[in-house]
Parts: sequence; structure tokens; C-alpha cells
Amino acid sequence: MNLNILIAGVGGQGNLFASSILSEYFINKGFEVLAVETIGAAQRGGSVVSHLRVSDSEIYSPLIPAGQVDILLGFEIIEMLRNFELLRADGSYLLNNYKEPTVLCNMELDTYPSDESIMAALQKSGKKGYTIKATECARQIGGSLLTNVVMVGALCQLSPLFDSQEVRQVLARKSPSKVREQNLKAFETGGSLISKATGQS
Amino acid sequence: MVTKEYLMGNEAMGRGAVEAGVKVVAGYPGTPASEVLEYVSTYPDVKAEWCINEKVALEITTGASLCRTRAMAVMKHNGTNVVLDFLMHLNYTGVRGGLVLISGDDPSGISSQNEEDSRIITHLDAHLPVFDPWCPQEAKDMVKTAFELSEETELCFVVRPVTRVCHARNQVTLEEVTAATGKEPFFEDDRSRFIMSALQEPKAGGALRPVVRHKWLNEKQPELSQIMEKSPFNHVEEGEGNIGIVACGIGYAFVKEAEKILGKKFPILKLGTLPLPRDKVLKFARQMTKLVVYEDSEAVVEGMLKQLLYDEGLQVKIVGRSGFLPREGELSTTVVLKSLATLYPELEKRIPETKPLEMKVPIRTRTQCVGCQYRGLLHALKLMARKTHGIVAGDIGCYDAGSFPPLELQSTIYCMGSSIPMATGIQYSGTKQPVFAIIGDSTFFHNGVLGLFNAIHNRVDMVAVVCDNRTTAMTGFQPHPGSNTDVHGKPAIAIDVARLAIAAGATSAQVVNPYDIPAVTKALKKAVSEKGVSVIVASMPCYLLARRTGDIGFTPRKVSLEPDLCNGCKICVTYFGCPAIHFSDGKATIDQATCVECGMCVYVCKRGAIT
Repeated sequence: MNLNILIAGVGGQGNLFASSILSEYFINKGFEVLAVETIGAAQRGGSVVSHLRVSDSEIYSPLIPAGQVDILLGFEIIEMLRNFELLRADGSYLLNNYKEPTVLCNMELDTYPSDESIMAALQKSGKKGYTIKATECARQIGGSLLTNVVMVGALCQLSPLFDSQEVRQVLARKSPSKVREQNLKAFETGGSLISKATGQS
Repeated sequence: MVTKEYLMGNEAMGRGAVEAGVKVVAGYPGTPASEVLEYVSTYPDVKAEWCINEKVALEITTGASLCRTRAMAVMKHNGTNVVLDFLMHLNYTGVRGGLVLISGDDPSGISSQNEEDSRIITHLDAHLPVFDPWCPQEAKDMVKTAFELSEETELCFVVRPVTRVCHARNQVTLEEVTAATGKEPFFEDDRSRFIMSALQEPKAGGALRPVVRHKWLNEKQPELSQIMEKSPFNHVEEGEGNIGIVACGIGYAFVKEAEKILGKKFPILKLGTLPLPRDKVLKFARQMTKLVVYEDSEAVVEGMLKQLLYDEGLQVKIVGRSGFLPREGELSTTVVLKSLATLYPELEKRIPETKPLEMKVPIRTRTQCVGCQYRGLLHALKLMARKTHGIVAGDIGCYDAGSFPPLELQSTIYCMGSSIPMATGIQYSGTKQPVFAIIGDSTFFHNGVLGLFNAIHNRVDMVAVVCDNRTTAMTGFQPHPGSNTDVHGKPAIAIDVARLAIAAGATSAQVVNPYDIPAVTKALKKAVSEKGVSVIVASMPCYLLARRTGDIGFTPRKVSLEPDLCNGCKICVTYFGCPAIHFSDGKATIDQATCVECGMCVYVCKRGAIT
């Protein structure tokens, strides 16, 4: 078994927590896990990318080689697009339909791509994937900070590689007590979003 | 039973030191290496300390080592530049208790102002032994081994991980922790070693001590080479063909990954040590017609191999980072795959195809956080610099984002503490423009204070702004001499920047609240009109940190924007640039979901549209 998951988002979206939940789940299953994040200057609203690699044999590079990403989790639209090239030909994506405008886009010095151009580019890529409104859901549950957990919940519903109940247990264990209930709710909501998701293929 | 724990490379190195019984660990924060010291500080028996700068950290750990105590200094590559002067003496004196220097390199400058290979300073220049790990487990093993070997050889050992090793997370094997007490601390005088001075040595026929100690260091090299010959960190793997792959440090990870993708085994010489295991290298090279060296990030091993093979009269072509591979940027599996395909064209088709998305994706520049007090300070300083045609020299830290679009405030940013001296030089050029320096508190203490003293003493006319948020925010909120707590959260004495500046002879030292834009503007006006060095201390705890305790520096106020009053002048985006302010169709709007209600923008809008 070899699985490469790339999580692309911006600072403050809880990229690292999502990666740690999935890591622990696979470690518990007895797999080898190797992960790496771009951290440091990438905080403060910059791009944050987490590489998560799972295998039943030794893994060498902490960075997923280009064209070897199996699942691309996009916490933010252009951050996913920025890393789209890394997705393998038969890989799939799960996109949070959420735009975090760049400072330059805010001031009309740059242009955030239109919904139409994003859809067109994704369709042209021929890759299969789902788009869900994770941040919107997270806000309804208790705040945008829950986006990461909604996304993990959706991923577990989407891929047969995950035992949703077991991931839920890891999440419950790793959540600080004051946000545990909210996290579990976000996780379940994420799962239910998949049935309603827009699938592209 | 073997215990494994999922650890980050930095934590694994910290664990290695704790297992080896380290007693004193000192460092200065810097990505990629900061978490080493943070991890070690969780062990109560270890004296862990964030120091004023890296040189002080290495000096402290050396002092401990001379008392037979195991000690470790931790820094990023820029810090290793800072310690060079001390390092070039430490290499001559040698050590007593095991001393390890961790120097985290950041190829590609992912979180740095430059990219640098600190093996050059530590090995080619200081001639100290260096370990170059390829993964968190090896990084831990290397730190542990380094303590043993440091005592055996009496030399400081360097461990040089790169960012992808420091930040990688993996299951790491844990072993027993050795009690940090170790040997009883005891300082025994040996002035022939620990007094580094140009003194004639009677025992060495009157030769000068620097020459005697240099000889000592040189004579250590064959012993080190012998040790590396037996080291588990170097090995050979059999493979097809006679092009030998020399995989150093993280290069090994990418080479092995490439092997998996290509489905081909190459003859590999995996190297993790400097000096090189001479015999192992020669034996490998003799079987090859060509050697390809993969290393981050300069052609260090490549050059050493060329020298060694030339001396042996061995005719083997050696290529690597000197031109066959890209000379800049970090290694990757892609770099390895592409280069191997030029040697084995039939492998080209096995490289996974990647197709860029057919659209332009906007770049994302770093900026001050929403709610950051420095946005107010930077705004006021930008307007002042524009009005007075001032030149602003910048420094290292979060506030450096003021130099990026849209603000484009600072005109220079080099390395830690260079703002005030560069502003001094700009003033000396004879320019009629006023000069400003802007520097963060941690950077100020690191060595910026020296530039300030120099400018004050020499009666330079300038405004020096110190951004005082009481923490090293950029690298994850480590304390510094201006903080009132230490790494353990225990009380520490906070050095007051304004009082220090006055004591040194600054013309004035105004303390202002950076959220209060009118007050900052008033202070700047006064400072610009003064002769000599005028210091402004923009003092307020970091918003991100303060938010955790609920002790933020402003009274939240919900702001709204009246579209009819907005004339589209864009001052709020171009000269302020808060991510919560958007601009479209000729009008600004407030994104209430992003806004944290700091209220600074109310003062920014000259039309009164924001209330």
C-alpha cells in the first residue's frame, strides 16, 4: 500500500492538525508514515502545504514527488490549483470551495481567477474530484477554524482507505476538551457533505 | 521492547541529545531548527536557554563542555555565520565534555534571506567533523553518536540537517535517557589549550601557539577519517552499471525515491560524514567510470572527491552541483529523476508525467497578520518616509513584510542587525534625505544594539524604530532579553529598550503604542526634527500571542465603511494593506469575517468613510 496525500491551504487553516489526525490513524494501523510541512515564513497568511506519505514499506523522500499525489486536499482554491501539477494522472482532489483573496487581489493589483475559469481549468485537467463548501459549513457549526476537520470528515467518507469510525476516535483523542464536541460535529458534517457534493469527472 | 514515537526531525535531534545525557543546550531561534531547543526544554534536568544570539549560545555551551559537561548549541545557517569567529578558535582548543553544534540549513531559502551550505564554514573552513542526516531517525542517531565521538576526539561535532530533515515527521525509535548529571562538573586549567593567544610554546621549540594548535587540529583529520570509515552513516549499495551515485544527506532520500519510481537499482555510495571515509570512497570509485554527487546545496563533497581522486591518480569523471545539476535551490526527486534521464535516456519514459494547469495562479505574498500592531506603525512610517523622501533600512522579522507590495516601505533588508549600520552608511553618503532604520526587538538584542551604540557614539542623524512585541514572533514566539519570561515560562529580567537607548546617549527614546497611528505619527515628526539618533520604541505584545491570553492591545470596535464617503483613493489598501479590506469597483469594503476589530483603519481613511 502506498498513499500520498497533499494538503494545500493558507496559514491558520489548521493544515497541520488535519495532517496529524490522518498520520496517527495510519500509524495506529501499523503503516509507515512520513510527513513534512512548509512552515516558518509560510505562516502569517502565506501558503501552507503538508505532504503526508503512507506505505507498508520504507518511505524515503518526505516530499511527495511530482505526479505522485493520490489525493489532493484543497483547503483554499488557488492553493490547490498551485499544487495541482503534483497530482498523478489518476489521482483525485477534494476542494473546499473557499477563496482567501491575496493581498494584491484585494487591491486589484492582481486578479483572483473567476469561478468559470477555475471550473474550466479543472474540467480540462481531466482529473476527478469533489468540491464542497467546508468553510461555509464550519462557520455554521462554530467557526472557520473547523474547516480542517470538515475536510477530514469528507475525505473519510470519500475514500475507502479510511475507516471513518477509527479516524473519529483519533480526532476525539487529539482534540482539546473544549473543542472536542465541535470537532466531532464538524467531522460528521464533513462526511454528510459528500453525498451532496458536486462531483467532477 | 522498542518504543517508537512520531517525531519531527528537530524533536528527534533533541531526543538524541537527551538520550546522550546533554546537560546544557543553548541557541537562538531560526527556521528550520527552532524546535530542537523547544523539545529539549521539556526535560527538567537539562539547562535549556534561548540566548541573545548564536555566538553567545556557542560560547556558553563551550564553557559547559570545558567543565566535562555534555552541551549542545542550536542554530540555523545564518547563526552559524555569526559564530564563525568563535568557531575558528574552538576548533583549535578542542573540547572536554561532548559538544555538538546543530546548524540547520535552508536550501532554497524557504524561510531565510539566503540559501547557504554551512558544511563550508564548519568543515572546509573550521575543519570540524560534520554529520549530514537524511531522515529524522538518522538525525537522532547522529546527534547521539556525535556526543560520544566528540569526547573521544576532543573535537566539537557538527550536525547539519536541511529543512526537509528538520521538519519531516516519522516514527523514530526511542532509547533510554541518560541522566543529565553525568560526570561531576570540574574545570581543570590547561592554558596551553584554553588561552588562545600568540604566545611562544617552549615545549614546541618556541613555535607560536596558534601554529601549534592548528597542527593539533590538522593531525586530528586522519583519526577522524578512520572513524568515518567504520561509521554506520556511510554505506555502499550494489546496483547496475558503472555510473556511481554518491548520495549525501537528504540527497539519499531523493535518490532512493527515484530508484523506486524508475524501478532500477543504481550503485550507491551513501555518505553522511565529513571528513569522507577515504578508503570506502576510493574502493567505490575504482569500480566506476563516473560519479554523480547529489548533495544540498553546494558542491562540497563533489569538490572533496575530485581532490581525493586527483591525489590518488584516479581518472573518474565526477559531476554534481558544480553544473551538471542545478547550482541553486534545493534537491528534489524531480531533480534526481531528470538528471538520471540524461545519463540513461531509456528511463525518461518512466518519469511520471505532470501537466501544469492551464491558468495563471496569483502569488501569495506574506503580510502582517490581521490585528498586528505593526501594520499601524508601518503605515505611519510609510507616510512619513513619503513626505520627507526618507530612506528606510530594514531588518529581519515579521515586520519585514512591510517591504513587500503594497507598502514597499523598507529599501534594504540583509541580515540580523544590519538596519542601523546601513542607515548610518546611507547618511554618511551625504544624502539630504532623512534616514530611518526599523528593527524588531529580538533582532535588536541579537546584535542590532551594537549598530545603535555605534551610531549614537558617532553622532549620526537618524531615526531608529524598534518594534517591541516582547517575543521572537517570526519563528514561533521564543523569548528574548526583552521578554519577561524564559523558555520554561519562568520569570526573567526584561531589558527595557528605551531606557537602554537613553543610557547609551540617544537624543530621545519615545515609547509609543503602534496601534495609535496619530501618536506614532507625532513621535516620528519629533524624531525627524531632532539631531543625533532618535529612538522610537513601538511597544505592544504580539497580537497573535496576546490573543491567546485575551490581553490584546486595543479595545475591539466594530468598523463599517460608508460607500458614499469612499472616493476610491486606495490609501487603505496601498498604504495600509489589511487583508480585511478589499477593493473592487472603485470602492473599499470591509470583510467582517476576517476583521478582528482593531480599529486602526479608522485613522487611515482620510475621508472619514471608515467609522
